[in-house]
Amino acid sequence: MSLLELKDVSRSFWTPRSLVDIALGRSPAVLRAVHRVDLAVAEGETLGIVGESGCGKSTLARLAVGLQAPDGGTVLFEGRPMSGPDPAGRIQMVFQDPYSSLNPRMTIGALLEEVVGRYHRELSRRERQAEVREALARVGLPAETAAKYPHALSGGQRQRVSIARALCPRPRILVADEPVSALDASVQAQIINLLQRLSRETGITILFISHDMQVVRHLCDRVAVMYLGKVMEVAPVEALFDHPRHPYTAGLMDAVPDVTRRRGTARQPVSGEMPDPYAEIRGCRFASRCRFAEARCAEPQRLTETAPGGLVRCWKAADATLPFSGGKTLT
Amino acid sequence: MTLLSVQDLVTEFAGPSGTARAVDGVSFDIQPGEIFGIVGESGCGKSATCRSILRLFGGADARIAGGSIRLDGAGDLAAMPERALGHIRGRDVAFIFQDPLTALNPTMRVGRQIAEVIKRHRRVSWREARAMALQLLRDVHVTSPERRLDAWPHELSGGLRQRIVIAMALALQPRLIIADEPTTALDVTVQDQILRLLMERRAASGTAIILVTHDLGVVSEVCDRVAVMYGGRFVETGTTAEVLDRPRHPYTRALLAALPSRAMRGQPLTPIEGTPPSLTAPPPGCRFAPRCPRAEDVCSAGPPPPLMAHEAAAPRHLDACLLEGMR
Repeated sequence: MSLLELKDVSRSFWTPRSLVDIALGRSPAVLRAVHRVDLAVAEGETLGIVGESGCGKSTLARLAVGLQAPDGGTVLFEGRPMSGPDPAGRIQMVFQDPYSSLNPRMTIGALLEEVVGRYHRELSRRERQAEVREALARVGLPAETAAKYPHALSGGQRQRVSIARALCPRPRILVADEPVSALDASVQAQIINLLQRLSRETGITILFISHDMQVVRHLCDRVAVMYLGKVMEVAPVEALFDHPRHPYTAGLMDAVPDVTRRRGTARQPVSGEMPDPYAEIRGCRFASRCRFAEARCAEPQRLTETAPGGLVRCWKAADATLPFSGGKTLT
Repeated sequence: MTLLSVQDLVTEFAGPSGTARAVDGVSFDIQPGEIFGIVGESGCGKSATCRSILRLFGGADARIAGGSIRLDGAGDLAAMPERALGHIRGRDVAFIFQDPLTALNPTMRVGRQIAEVIKRHRRVSWREARAMALQLLRDVHVTSPERRLDAWPHELSGGLRQRIVIAMALALQPRLIIADEPTTALDVTVQDQILRLLMERRAASGTAIILVTHDLGVVSEVCDRVAVMYGGRFVETGTTAEVLDRPRHPYTRALLAALPSRAMRGQPLTPIEGTPPSLTAPPPGCRFAPRCPRAEDVCSAGPPPPLMAHEAAAPRHLDACLLEGMR
């Protein structure tokens, strides 16, 4: 059974109407940030969600934690529908920016103790402090860190603290929204190693949201690729990177600058820009930028299984002769 | 002929905790038409280096405290009065910022902004300037350029805005474009398009480009030569292939080793332990020595080691590792 399951989940946002709009009877513009997404997260796996800005990956993260309620479909945790954040704190979130997500006026110890106290009222002060020490140790920070304020820590240390805070209620799922994007490469490596170690040693389930394909390839077991509020492809990490089935996945990979690739290497990255997210698109959402688009792409596309564990939202993906470059086929 | 020659550049920023030497003795040459990358992590001084060339410090209390910046035919920019430098900016050397929205005037239509840049340096009518702006939008592949001339910056996507900024940079056919993290705020697919555009314009007009980035992948796919910067100093320079395929300085090696790569999937990465040096009170000797896995006692004494060639076969592949020179 899946630990967390999104069933036909949608979330839209409405732009506020001006008085003129109301007077003219215009209906508000609807942005379908997440549109009828089905996604199951298995116990113990690290599932990556990738896509460009505006694809809905951060909204998906908030839906998974219960910080945002879906306006369609259900989010199931341990098989039961969720309504709001889990009261026992079993699903925790790590945010992108470790500078703005920690209260600057609290010591790290006080900050973490507060979180422990919220979920475990029965614990004495001493027991809470022991929990804090353990959480710090689990993220590789010395016990003295508890006495420090956030400003005295480096970016990497702060992100460790954010992870320690998320671990305090002993969650089963960690939802990390771009946790390494604000960090330099040398520090990023520490946090990636930490997440990998946590996954291995504690078996915690991780939902890893990122725009960085290289990091996702390194860390995740399975990957979902999102575009304009929809999941376009889901596959085990090796299969996705070696044989991308959706043209968007392939084009996205080809756009990633790679230190092993030199100028002039044949590539076929996605061209153009994302269409207006407010526009209603009936067919394939990627068709306007797709090199392989045909008339049939104007019809709605379904997520279908093409390989074991692999789902693709493209009727052409069944055709194995398509020259989707991606990954290593062209380079 | 060398287009730009920077020698022993020192740039200082005044701050509450003392004076920080963000750039401490940096030297490099740019040839016409070449793309030169400056790569490093936050706070290494890469942005301060390129901003020093045009003294674009954005209100920060900064000054060039030493060295020279010679632009072919224009003399030493570092010694030039502000007013004279104003004639160089845009005309000979153009600058592209990371965030296109702050580089554009939000209260002026796009076409007018480009025309204004042209009018400031050339004697043309508004009508002519507007026609030139239209051609520039075509050059940077803006779709339906006639319509975009009358657009406001906020109506455009991030990618389109950066194309407009590049059109403005190209307006006066500068000999050098300095691009400070021009694609960091953009999605990878748009980043790829903008980088291709820069390379295409370089090929079409022969403009040299200094590209400042934190992304070694971008360097690999775009630059002819590259300098790796750490703690206010260049620690290694050479052709892109020399530096990325045969890195010699321990910092360059460490930076490459920290990247996730396809071969290492599932294996732990190799982070760089420790923190970058203070620029107000840098450590003696090599600035990377306190974090360097190979460091010996000699590395932490005396002045920071200079860039040197260590191989007869690669006379322009320079590095600043003392141990490399003693081997």
